[in-house]
Amino acid sequence: MRAFVRRVIEVSGFELSSCFEAGHGGEALAILRREWVDLVLTDVNMPGMDGEEFLRRLEADELLRALPVVVVSTDATAQRMQKMLSLGARGYVTKPFSPESLRAELERTLGVPCG
Amino acid sequence: MVDGEARAALAAALESVLERMFFIDTGSAAGSEVPDGEVPVRARLTFEGDPPGWLTLEVSPPAARSIAADFLAVDEASLSAGQVEEVVCELANMICGAALSRLESDSNFRLGAPGVLEGRPAPDAAAIVGSADLGNGILMARLKFQAT
Repeated sequence: MRAFVRRVIEVSGFELSSCFEAGHGGEALAILRREWVDLVLTDVNMPGMDGEEFLRRLEADELLRALPVVVVSTDATAQRMQKMLSLGARGYVTKPFSPESLRAELERTLGVPCG
Repeated sequence: MVDGEARAALAAALESVLERMFFIDTGSAAGSEVPDGEVPVRARLTFEGDPPGWLTLEVSPPAARSIAADFLAVDEASLSAGQVEEVVCELANMICGAALSRLESDSNFRLGAPGVLEGRPAPDAAAIVGSADLGNGILMARLKFQAT
């Protein structure tokens, strides 16, 4: 899925100078503490630290809490979406998604049109 | 849970995942099986919820290879068996999540990590079956809810 999302971002016209991948929230936090990024995409269900705990950790970190996060998940229930948004996510894309819908959500979250 | 609702949810999940993520217009393959002599690529995942259960997915080898190549944007010839299995696992994850979201719109469920299933799963008459004709093979999903 990470390869697919990366490809959609690239072909959508976003300028992707660097892209870091992590298998779970703990790995992502470690990367975010050493690299500057503009946007984070995360799943909910992940081995190790899941998406909810990842968002809590981001929110508790003064340097990272302003980072825009978009959740990409198979869980399309209203309860899950509300939970993730209440934890600080700025956007939510449900799988399956069309490349256009992912692009639109990224544009909305970043506040800039791509390309 | 009503079987008809679950069957419809699984069918809709199959259609939406294959069309949106893999750009495949599915044909009905009701009652079809992966042909004897072909060893399908199989994946399985469990889920917690109300009720909990599991989903298994079987995909004919040629179909599994072509959808993996499309999904990863690589030539089929350069695909490894592991890459094909990884995509089938991701497909199982999306189908299961899409089906459960249709059935459990007001409750939480949690998907386990999908894994490759070695060997043919034991027949389970209580499992709900959904299938699709991918043109170069059959995809078959079985969704089972456990009594709580």
